[in-house]
Amino acid sequence: MDDSMKRLLQRLIRRIPAHMLRTTLDKWGRLSGAQQRSLDFTQPKWVLTEKLLAICEENGWTIKHITELEMTYVIDNPNQGMWHASQLMDPEDDAHSVELTQFKEQFKAHLSELVRPVSVKIKKHTDEAVWIRIAWGDRFSEPNHLKPTYVVHHLQTPYVFVTSLTSKQKPLLSQALVLSTRYQAIKDANLSGRKLTAIRDLLMRHYQQVFPTKYPSPLKEKNQTVSNPHVEKEQAGPAVNRLQMACEAFGDGTLPQLQSAVYKLETKFRDHTNKIMTEREEPFRCVVKFASTNLLESLRHCASTGIASTPVTPLLSSIPLKGKNYFVITDNGPGPSSQMRQPLT
Amino acid sequence: MSVLKPFSKLPGLNTANILLVESEEQFQQSLAAALVEEAAVTVNVRLAKSLPLPMENEESRPRIDLVVFIINLTSELSFQSAEASLKYLDPGYFLGKVCFMVTNARSASVPTVRLDAVRKLAASLHCPLLFAEDQTPDGLTNATERLLTILKVAAGLVPMATALYLSNLTRCTVPTDIDQQNFD
Repeated sequence: MDDSMKRLLQRLIRRIPAHMLRTTLDKWGRLSGAQQRSLDFTQPKWVLTEKLLAICEENGWTIKHITELEMTYVIDNPNQGMWHASQLMDPEDDAHSVELTQFKEQFKAHLSELVRPVSVKIKKHTDEAVWIRIAWGDRFSEPNHLKPTYVVHHLQTPYVFVTSLTSKQKPLLSQALVLSTRYQAIKDANLSGRKLTAIRDLLMRHYQQVFPTKYPSPLKEKNQTVSNPHVEKEQAGPAVNRLQMACEAFGDGTLPQLQSAVYKLETKFRDHTNKIMTEREEPFRCVVKFASTNLLESLRHCASTGIASTPVTPLLSSIPLKGKNYFVITDNGPGPSSQMRQPLT
Repeated sequence: MSVLKPFSKLPGLNTANILLVESEEQFQQSLAAALVEEAAVTVNVRLAKSLPLPMENEESRPRIDLVVFIINLTSELSFQSAEASLKYLDPGYFLGKVCFMVTNARSASVPTVRLDAVRKLAASLHCPLLFAEDQTPDGLTNATERLLTILKVAAGLVPMATALYLSNLTRCTVPTDIDQQNFD
């Protein structure tokens, strides 16, 4: 049992929190009944690590098995690390009929052509997501299993979510993805966050939407039960309107938990009281960052209580509408964060 | 400009009407629920975010006996909104029918300037300034009791006491610099 495998297993056990260790090992399913019973999960982790190393020798596990365990853990706890969303562009004619086995073969083949050696593991999760674990190697070294890249792709959608990818590895992965999914290009979707479930739900609109309607409340019935006849709100009408507009912009119920939104401003400085800055020709570059534990929830609250004016400004409502949290604002108005500038009209 | 007038309507029998004005619309909800539980008097509570009040409710609105401005000291917006609402009150209200209630005064993030500004405002208008604790049920009960005391007087339900008389005793004062000791 070589050193790198030992180190990988130790690192992995250290990473998995103590209360999840048993469930993860059970799900992995490679321990026999007797071995499982011999592990006492109330003992400190280093004792368990020693025991698992011994079982590893006993069963003759390879790196493949340990990476399988890691993948099981990451799939069940995807809300760690920084995930970035990308979108595939310009589908070919058969892009919509790509199915799992074809995708798997194609991806492995293309990636191995581009990078050698590389270790790729593909697994399909129950909720239609395809999980890919890539350990990168190069001409001088074996695949580095301590820094794997995880990719999540939902077949038949153009969305791909990636974590832990360096800029050198990015073009290789993009090329392999584009070829195996039968699209023509891939671009950065300008959406990133710590919770994979949140950015996936935001992009695929898996939260309760509210559509503009002329009659927001149901028709009043004759015998209305009032909450308390002695308490009356004076400005109930405007409050309901604000709430309706806030929900139309951001959605109803529980919202995906985004942590931040970044606006990169490249607009000219505009302030009547400050002539020196306003007279400058070059755009005033500045970055505005909104951060919160649940950004969309707090923005919706701002709009419904009147702190942010309603109707909600498109700068804020484009976060859920376009599914992005990185915007570049130029003088021609907020646009997609493409690097092209439109000519000034 | 629709100004709220104190004596333009007839009072109700054994009734007291209170208007709670709060920019955040948070504490006023729990206060309202606690105020209406008063058994001896029928208390009607009207809730508003700011003044002026909408014209549509002019007919159905009873005579307001006491206007309470709830200011959250941790928010500058709260203070500015309350200040801006003051001009929509008829001057007749400032003879004991207006009260300021302040929350979060103990919070460390509150700049002292703000509390001083609220004090000065209340003192210049000869109104009482109450401090309330809105996070615990005990704090809510205390605030309710104090408001009810002032409300009953302002509605004329306490014999031998008028709102103007009470406000003279309870109004907020700002000590002048000569009186204040310097502890440097």
